[in-house]
Amino acid sequence: MQRGLFLGPAAIALVALATLALPRLAATAPDPGAAPLATGDASARPWKRYPGWPSRDSVKFNTLANPNVSPPAPKEPRKLTKPLAGDPAIGAKLVADRTRGGSCLACHVMGQAGNADMPGNVGPDLSEIGNAGLDDDTLFNFVNDARVYNAESVMPPWGTNGLFSDEEIGHIVAFLKTLKSPAVFPTSVDDPSKRPPPVEHRDNLDEMVNPGLWTVEKAQQLWDARGPTGSSCAGCHGQAAERFKTWAAGMPKWEPRLDKVLGIEEFVYRHAKATTGFDWLMQSSENTAMAVYLRFLANGQAMHVDVTSPGAKEAFERGRALTATKVGQLNFSCLDCHDPKRGGLKWIRGQWLGEQRGQLDHFPTWRTSQQAIWDIRKRFEWCNVAVWANELPPEAKEYGDLELYLASVNAGLKLNVPGIRH
Amino acid sequence: MADKPRLKLPKEAKKGDVIEIKTLVQHPMETGLRKDAGGNVIPRKIVNKFSATFNGAPLFSAELEPAVAANPYLQFTAKIDQGGTFRFTWVDDDGTVTTAEETITVT
Amino acid sequence: MNRISRRDAVLMGASATLYLSVADVGAALATPPEAEAEIAKFTGGKPAQDGKIAIDLPEIAENGNTIPLAITVNVPISQDSYVSDILVVADGNPNPGIAKFHLTPLSGRAEVGTRIRLATTENVIVVAKTSDGKLYTDRKQVKVTIGGCGG
Repeated sequence: MQRGLFLGPAAIALVALATLALPRLAATAPDPGAAPLATGDASARPWKRYPGWPSRDSVKFNTLANPNVSPPAPKEPRKLTKPLAGDPAIGAKLVADRTRGGSCLACHVMGQAGNADMPGNVGPDLSEIGNAGLDDDTLFNFVNDARVYNAESVMPPWGTNGLFSDEEIGHIVAFLKTLKSPAVFPTSVDDPSKRPPPVEHRDNLDEMVNPGLWTVEKAQQLWDARGPTGSSCAGCHGQAAERFKTWAAGMPKWEPRLDKVLGIEEFVYRHAKATTGFDWLMQSSENTAMAVYLRFLANGQAMHVDVTSPGAKEAFERGRALTATKVGQLNFSCLDCHDPKRGGLKWIRGQWLGEQRGQLDHFPTWRTSQQAIWDIRKRFEWCNVAVWANELPPEAKEYGDLELYLASVNAGLKLNVPGIRH
Repeated sequence: MADKPRLKLPKEAKKGDVIEIKTLVQHPMETGLRKDAGGNVIPRKIVNKFSATFNGAPLFSAELEPAVAANPYLQFTAKIDQGGTFRFTWVDDDGTVTTAEETITVT
Repeated sequence: MNRISRRDAVLMGASATLYLSVADVGAALATPPEAEAEIAKFTGGKPAQDGKIAIDLPEIAENGNTIPLAITVNVPISQDSYVSDILVVADGNPNPGIAKFHLTPLSGRAEVGTRIRLATTENVIVVAKTSDGKLYTDRKQVKVTIGGCGG
């Protein structure tokens, strides 16, 4: 009798399964809901504001995490106890002073102030306000804190928030009273009502145009690189291009294990750390390269985030409320600049304020003004600092709620990453 | 210049066609006007000269100043009467020379 | 001449990546006469005809760092008379010179494109010279915008 290995049908089936199982593991993108995530801080500690950004500490004013610290609006208009003895020449300088949060010319045409050099039109044209029959008390209170006349005012509370002193407001009022004829603009584009809104013509994916694209090559190398644990992204996920054709379009996502919304940048940090050991902190060049790459692979996909599941629904509502939250010494909410019912689709100085829809499909973006790629969290931080509010670290849960809400507003728009913008 | 230069031009053309050539090289084009965090002037370092030849003959050249934007992009044209090789050369302030070549055939 | 003013030094910290801080035109920026001097060196002081150069520049630049510029000189090109040199200067930059282009009969067309830096709202002036000594010039103003609230 010949002795040999007899493989019955069951055994053959088992062997077949064993050999199939191994490549199958590598061929299937693991369910992202189960992706290992490192806990702890996802960005540099201590969190320090970027050098070159305005360095003021706005701790006395609202942030998105701390929205109840700013001085409250006065309950009623202040009554002037002595006549304003302002100097219109000083006022003319103050309304054009960019270091004072704008100032007025950022939002208002004001006759020949600042040589009528590209004033904005978020607020009404004040070139003839000297003829409007408003008394000193009214003009003073408008500038001091317009909320006493309109609780929903977009105007910064220049006096209440300590941007201008009473004396300076007096100078501004004196100047306003001299405004009695329409502005004469040096050129037609200086007139915000005639200035054509910018149209973005650039092809994001033209490497002759967008330096942001060059980071895709860097990301491809990172994909294959082995981290301290000996693993690489490629080791589990195989070929990135096939596995991630749609993934990025569904981000950000509510992550119950961390009780927050997780954007791609934070996911990249936590997941890479937990698997490869790589320390790709948020806003590091590696993290940004990966964040660009994962979206780049899904370019053309319509953005579609979950805002109805438990956790996501509440985050969406919080995000929506955050867009209406006033922050900073200038006291602005996102909506003040980005809702067409307020400042959206208008000019501040020479900058066009876009509306919320159309803002997220091209992030991360190469910023020509910064000569660097910025992700959406860095954009949020900059916006906060620009309105004289303290920024939050990139992984702040408030930024996550905001990003989820913004992503839902951008639903249906096709990913087109990396962007190239001012 | 960090990476290889990027070029965009057709691989073939009909005799007599005028083609568009786009070139780009990664370079910060440091103007010499900026200061670092310590207040020290960052020295000028730019691509100051670019030249293109076709089959060895001069086609186009440029002298660049710091007012040319970072990652200098240059677009120009060439009349194609025969096939051959373009050679592109970039020269840095510090003398570094970078070259690239591309061929074209006439159909 | 000291090209970096106090204003620039202060604002360089705030926007170190910008070509030059954008603010009121000050003593450190070149003036129209300096640009004219550059042009005179190129033209030998001879007059140049306008209306033949198409200058493609945005009316409003999003910022001063990278502004696309395309130039077309619309004159007939032959072996005996072709656009041989194109000078580009600006009248409000720290230095007026931007670039000088040299073309040949092989160029086929007098067309050039690049991206430039502008420190402030100013004029870009193009002067073209042909192989047989003809001169052409045109100019265009570009508004260089600055952030609305310093942002």
